[in-house]
Amino acid sequence: MSQQVSVRIDGELCTAAEGQTIYEVAQANGRSIPALCHMEGLSSAGACRLCLVEVAGIGRLLPACTTPVNTGMSVTTESENLAHHRVMALELLFVERNHICSVCVSNGHCELQALAQKLGVTHVRYPYNYPRLSVDTSHPRFVLDHNRCILCSRCVRVCDEIEGAHVWDIAARGINSMLVSDLDRPWGESENCTSCGKCVQACPTGALVEKGRAVEEMTKRNVVVTTLAAKRDAHP
Amino acid sequence: MKKARLATLWLDGCSGCHMSLLDIDEAIIAVVQRADIVYGPLVDAQEFPVDVDVAIVEGAVSSQDDLEKIKRVRERSRILVALGDCAITGNVPSMRNRFLVKTILERVYVEGADAQKGIPTDGVPTLLKQAIPLQDVVKVDLHVPGCPPSASAILFVLNELLDGRIPDLGTKVRFG
Amino acid sequence: MTRIRDLSTFNAVRSAGLAKLQPARPRIAVGMGTCGTGNGSEGVYAALADAIAQRGLDVHLVRTGCFGFCAEEPLVNVWIPGQPLVILHRVQTDHVNQILDALATKTVPERLALCKIEEWDHITAQLHYGSGFPNIPTWNEVPFFRGQKKIVLRNCGLINPDDIEEYIAIGGYQSLYKVLIDKTPELVNEQIKISRLRGRGGAGFLTGLKWEFLRKATADHKYVICNADEGDPGAYMNRNEIEGDPHSLIEGMAIGGYITGADQGIIYVRAEYPLAVHRLRVALGQARESGVLGEDILGRGFKFDIDLVEGAGAFVCGEETALISSLEGRSGRPRPRPPFPAQKGLWGYPTNINNVETWFNIAPIVAKGPSWFSETGSVASAGTKVFSLVGKVKNTGLVEMPFGTPLSSFVYDAGSGSMRGHPVKAVQTGGPSGGCIPHELFDTPVDYESLGKLGSIMGSGGMVVMDDDNCMVDVARYFVEFTRSESCGKCTPCRVGLDKALRTLTRITKGEGREEDLAELNELGRMIRDTALCGLGQTAPNSILTTLRHFNDEFEDHIKAKRCRAGVCQDLALSPCENSCPLHMNIPRFLQLYKEGRLADAFESVIMDNPLPASTGRVCQHPCDDRCRRQTVDEAVNMREVHRVIADAILLSDRFDEMVDRILAKRRPPTGKTIAVAGAGPTGLTAGFYLALLGHDVTIFDSHAEAGGMLRFALPEYRLPKAVLDREIEIIRRLGVKFVFNTRIGADVALNDLDAKYDAVFLSIGTWKEGWVYLSGTELTGVTPALPFLEAEAEAKPVKLGDRVVIIGGGNAAIDSARTVIRRGAAATVIYRRERKDMPAIQEEVDAAEQEGVRFRFLAAPHRIVGEQGDVKAIEVVKTRLGEFDSSGRRRPIETDEVHIIPCTSVILAVGESVDTDFSRASGLRIKESAMLEVDRYTLATSRDKFFAGGDLISGASNLSNAMGFGKKAARNIDQFLTRESRFDDVMPSFVYDQTAPAETSPCRRHHAHELPAAIRAKTFQEAAAALLPEEAYEESCRCLRCDIRETAGAGAHR
Repeated sequence: MSQQVSVRIDGELCTAAEGQTIYEVAQANGRSIPALCHMEGLSSAGACRLCLVEVAGIGRLLPACTTPVNTGMSVTTESENLAHHRVMALELLFVERNHICSVCVSNGHCELQALAQKLGVTHVRYPYNYPRLSVDTSHPRFVLDHNRCILCSRCVRVCDEIEGAHVWDIAARGINSMLVSDLDRPWGESENCTSCGKCVQACPTGALVEKGRAVEEMTKRNVVVTTLAAKRDAHP
Repeated sequence: MKKARLATLWLDGCSGCHMSLLDIDEAIIAVVQRADIVYGPLVDAQEFPVDVDVAIVEGAVSSQDDLEKIKRVRERSRILVALGDCAITGNVPSMRNRFLVKTILERVYVEGADAQKGIPTDGVPTLLKQAIPLQDVVKVDLHVPGCPPSASAILFVLNELLDGRIPDLGTKVRFG
Repeated sequence: MTRIRDLSTFNAVRSAGLAKLQPARPRIAVGMGTCGTGNGSEGVYAALADAIAQRGLDVHLVRTGCFGFCAEEPLVNVWIPGQPLVILHRVQTDHVNQILDALATKTVPERLALCKIEEWDHITAQLHYGSGFPNIPTWNEVPFFRGQKKIVLRNCGLINPDDIEEYIAIGGYQSLYKVLIDKTPELVNEQIKISRLRGRGGAGFLTGLKWEFLRKATADHKYVICNADEGDPGAYMNRNEIEGDPHSLIEGMAIGGYITGADQGIIYVRAEYPLAVHRLRVALGQARESGVLGEDILGRGFKFDIDLVEGAGAFVCGEETALISSLEGRSGRPRPRPPFPAQKGLWGYPTNINNVETWFNIAPIVAKGPSWFSETGSVASAGTKVFSLVGKVKNTGLVEMPFGTPLSSFVYDAGSGSMRGHPVKAVQTGGPSGGCIPHELFDTPVDYESLGKLGSIMGSGGMVVMDDDNCMVDVARYFVEFTRSESCGKCTPCRVGLDKALRTLTRITKGEGREEDLAELNELGRMIRDTALCGLGQTAPNSILTTLRHFNDEFEDHIKAKRCRAGVCQDLALSPCENSCPLHMNIPRFLQLYKEGRLADAFESVIMDNPLPASTGRVCQHPCDDRCRRQTVDEAVNMREVHRVIADAILLSDRFDEMVDRILAKRRPPTGKTIAVAGAGPTGLTAGFYLALLGHDVTIFDSHAEAGGMLRFALPEYRLPKAVLDREIEIIRRLGVKFVFNTRIGADVALNDLDAKYDAVFLSIGTWKEGWVYLSGTELTGVTPALPFLEAEAEAKPVKLGDRVVIIGGGNAAIDSARTVIRRGAAATVIYRRERKDMPAIQEEVDAAEQEGVRFRFLAAPHRIVGEQGDVKAIEVVKTRLGEFDSSGRRRPIETDEVHIIPCTSVILAVGESVDTDFSRASGLRIKESAMLEVDRYTLATSRDKFFAGGDLISGASNLSNAMGFGKKAARNIDQFLTRESRFDDVMPSFVYDQTAPAETSPCRRHHAHELPAAIRAKTFQEAAAALLPEEAYEESCRCLRCDIRETAGAGAHR
């Protein structure tokens, strides 16, 4: 049994187990911190920077998904400053690629879209990049649409950590980063892919989807991943 | 009390936002009692008038013609509302942005035509390189996203504006 | 190679090393770091080896690293037993015989000597070389080395890096030995903590504390890693450190390994550093053979080895978690901490990572103790830091300075000031993640905290000096371009934010910036800084944020005026000459028109760009010369003299009326607007010309009886014949401009009256208030300020001078006065407190004055004017010396005690002039602290409606083309104010002319104006320099390289 620590989250005193992250403690206490790359059951990447929180006495913002709680820690999960940064991070994600919600199979079931709505993003101040990106339809059951990818790497982690196949990874760097299967071969030609579909279920947007879905038809079942992960933890 | 002067305009869009506006049904009667619709696809005026209180614009800026129109609208209106995703993100019209204009026109008017193949030149506005949101070219005072925004959201916006407030849309709207 | 097992074997190796370092025969060591070999030291080494063999000399020839002064490479050390070690610089193969010849007589070629070293403190040992060579400065007397303290670079450039014995000879591996004998890792760890050594990689974390984390971690394996992935553009200190002294790194790591309980070290070095990699391989091999690495180190039972891993060239791998990821064979992307590497590092084992330079400091601290170390540097940051000083300074190289040394010492002492004499504008510290610190803040001490406060960082120690040729917007764009392309792409703010920032910055440099861009960039920069995952992202916006903070006006120039002062942003200029011209004349166009034989078109082109073309053709300061790209071939095109030829050919010929009609035809229909212009000097005349052309009704008021201002009353006839000026004014008159003379604004006509009668008022009053020095004796008869003197001369009412005249000052007024004095038959002596090169006067004028017999006394300041019965009898001058650099980039003169007396009959004070701003009292016009009128920089609008101002009134005393530039800008803005339209460019002519760059560069050299012989000149007020002949002007126009023609269509501003 790990040691218990007490922390304050938005002023409220919470008890937590040592080693738990701020994100987990906040969620257990009914506060949801926005996040796109984090997913229960997978290791944390700390990449999307939406879950940044303020911790009293620390001059910089910390990612809730990777920062473990300490006794006496006082965390603020919502503030004007945080809201400002989160909105900007969303805006940057929207301009980066072509997120055309109205014609997306995930319309209405997309975490990016929902978060924008929740945080009151009604428009983006920066010019859109409108990059020319491909859609990989080579897999018999699934589709990879780079236009919708936010590079959260959930698929990379679920495939590596849960399925153990490590089909996905991120190639290149910076703004040119691109999700690739195997060593950048079409998904359908991947020798490692087991077609288990967990990457599709983990994907927060319409980037990895099932074939044959029309607009608004693609719903994801994250629970598939989290249940599996929990069972693996229970029987290592 | 002086009635507010309301104008609507569509640029590169599908007119769905205007349809959604009409979907406020009988509530439009209350709106026209408080405001005159001085310009728009729903009324007859030929020229965008001066001294408009609220201009509601649907669609992306896609052609030279759109660009001139939106600039004129901005000059002549106190509050400019971008209605719907096309006006705010470029949306479907912007899906052409990753292709050259020439390629698109050839695909449509040459490859895709059964008869009279040829890119029309007369009387057709010149396309811009990209279809872009309103805020890339003019200052926009309020964004109402959605494809289309719901009738209730539009009615809420109209009522708030006519009450003299810039509405706080909160979570009433979303992209898509 | 002897394996060290105990003290006696250790001492044996040490003696062997000493015998190589200070052999009984002469030793020559050639600097063969990358900087040395890049400058040809391989050849020098080979030539030396050949010559020594050929001559059969008994000389010990070795390779060494770089002693730091990279600009002076190849450096060669020559040591003759019993004498100082002499460092020769810029040694080439043809110097080899000289060196060896000198050696035969137990001396060195002193002309090649940079400095000497009599004794050297290797920290871990002292070496005495000997004394002698009194004419050669000791190393730390050389400005570049003065103030430097070599702890990290203690061995670089002195020992042979490929020979472990030489390293051991100067106390190497003694610290490791001591640590292994004492067996008190906790104590040593504590000492490292007490020494306050901080990580030199940039973040500045306390090294001792970091070690303690690792020491206390329990695990089967632990790693210590050296981060040698130095990737900042322009920074190469780690490379030189390794190339010059690899064993210092190995020893530091071995000590670190022992203290922290690590059994494996890894050096992660850039693959792009082949020489450093080679040196390390050799050093590691020798270390293993000698028993300082591997099993049973130094016979003390400690096991530790070091692997070498070459990085694949990603900048982000300098970040420790990304580096670990790269070592593990994955792509180099950082991960959030915690867990920290000390908890969970390489392959999951506790790991400590330090920078090369941090490791270099370990052996000295162990040898000398923590208090010795913390004596150097500032309170928070102990020790020294090596910087690579590059950019626009005279001396470039590696500079090791104690922390807390002010930035000015780097730039002005070590760097010896700017390379081309241009004022230094800023220093960029910390590489691409650093920020720019402006000149005003150069007294900032260089340490982690002080740089951080200014929004910059220490980083790994890059220091790039920038002068007014650097555009700060482009600097920000350049660094963001770098960080954007090096972003790993993992976190949103860095991946997308930097891309967005680059797009915006690029837009601004192309002249497509919007005013809201600046606030947006600032907001974006802060967001990236506050939310990015790793150090790369968090520091990447520094270049944006600091340039926005300190150089906001440059950003505004790009956005509002579409101008790049430095002339870097090519899309904002037609050509470098056009950009430098305050009137923005289309210089390539008139050159080409003249070349095509189209004189009338050339004249129209010139006069429409510049309403006083013949005057400027004679007396302009010609900033265009300084920018002309023809200088890369031979000399600048003589643009000024060509437009003088063009102007004279029309103005002074019978084609005058014809051309005036051509200009009048361009006049716009009357607008009915009336404009008052105060001041008929070049600014007012220029504004009047354009405003009349635009159809306005212009009246110019002036306190003098004639128009021309300084051109008429301050410029002597021999520089500008008044007949020429009269022709130019005639055109302005014929355009309909009215003049009201003998009328002083404020005194004879009130500002309120102008306000009531005119639609707009343009204030362009000159600097008629003469400067005065507070000097005893100025009340004496015979003391005159320069302006009244020149004015009296111009009006032919000469002042009584006597036969010996002293002129105080270094500007054009001083030179004009002196040359006038000579022409009046008196002797003239100019006294200036700085050196000749610092004079603000046009250099050609200074040369001409000297030829005519004007005498100069530089480094002399007036002290007292001595009188006799109320008349000037002599002047006492005090000798000055040059001190610190001031904001103009020149050294400040400091008075000494040495006083000289110069007998004279009169004194002319040419010490600067200012505008008499009395007229503006209670007028609603705001005056700034500098006593100049406050205006909007872009519109020239004053704080009072309808009133615009330009010229000296807002800039202080300046020169002709600047003054006219203001007039032109004012006309554009006043017209826009009155008509609410942009009509200015519509009256500008356009010509069709050849738009192909010359296929071959004209071989002609620059033609100069034809000066009369000095002896004749000095006796007459006749024009001193005659114009170029037409064929010379033609050849000159052919010399233009046509920078205005761009390969890519559409580039370049269409002006």
